[in-house]
Amino acid sequence: MLITIKLFASFRDGRFKVATREVADGATVADVLRSLEIDEPEVGMMFVRARHVDVDRVLAAGETLSVFPLVGGG
Amino acid sequence: MFTPEEVERYARHIVLRDVGGPGQQKLKAARVLVVGAGGLGSPILQYLAAAGIGTLGIVDDDAVSLSNLQRQVIHATADVGRPKVDSAAEAIARLNPTVTVERHSLRLAPDNAAGLVAAYDVVVDGVDNYPTRFLLADTCERLAKPLVTAGVQEFYGWLTVLKPWEIGPDRLRNPGLRSLMNEPAEGRMRTCAQVGILGVVPGVLGTLAAAEVLKLVIGIGEPLVRRMLTVDLLDMSFDLVDTEADPAAGATP
Repeated sequence: MLITIKLFASFRDGRFKVATREVADGATVADVLRSLEIDEPEVGMMFVRARHVDVDRVLAAGETLSVFPLVGGG
Repeated sequence: MFTPEEVERYARHIVLRDVGGPGQQKLKAARVLVVGAGGLGSPILQYLAAAGIGTLGIVDDDAVSLSNLQRQVIHATADVGRPKVDSAAEAIARLNPTVTVERHSLRLAPDNAAGLVAAYDVVVDGVDNYPTRFLLADTCERLAKPLVTAGVQEFYGWLTVLKPWEIGPDRLRNPGLRSLMNEPAEGRMRTCAQVGILGVVPGVLGTLAAAEVLKLVIGIGEPLVRRMLTVDLLDMSFDLVDTEADPAAGATP
């Protein structure tokens, strides 16, 4: 199935801003992060359909996953 | 009522549609708490003071260091070593002596957060760590105080407005900070001291945060409720991400 991935801030380095990717049916957010070589502890926020998701969220065809690194300075 | 000096000082607000004299009166009557007088706090305090917010509370327990000055523009070289609340309060007095400044030279903690937040109308988060940011967000949620919250690092930042006690027209609760992310484990976040930050990044995000405060106080426009602005100054992109609370998720502890 096809999903769209949006990356933000430093996660764009050497990757992309927006991409459509083929993933296996039943793929989770963790599977996508692994395929992008993003370490889970580096992630700050993740959204699907405007809602925060955890790494065990199973993705559905056509969904968009947005991933932000942990940016918390002031 | 305004003095003749105030009418002249705020002339560009008073002629501005949707602000005017009534909007300026709301700014004068407002009490805004700014937590953190650092990179984000500097432009937030400067613009809110210049705009004529009547009372500004400043929370910070830190002293000015030389390495702060590349981005914490409310402080000056002569302030190195001084408490940030004193340095910031004096800068505000130079900018706009009509503003009342309430100095809180302390670190926000579970035993003082509610007392501080309860005394203000709007709260702004300029803190540099997630434990304090979550404490502030939880406190504001419990006390139903609008929170303008932002984070910055390297070349990037994000900004949103949290009013999680409000129910939208879709009958869903607005998201709070815990609807946007899990609280990071202590020590997980790399700090600005470790990875650095381009000095103008908190300037951009802090100025936008100040704009959200002014909108909330005057009651104009559409604040960033249910939306998060993300800023990438390397490629100069500004993205808006819609955010919703998960109705299945529990309430704030």
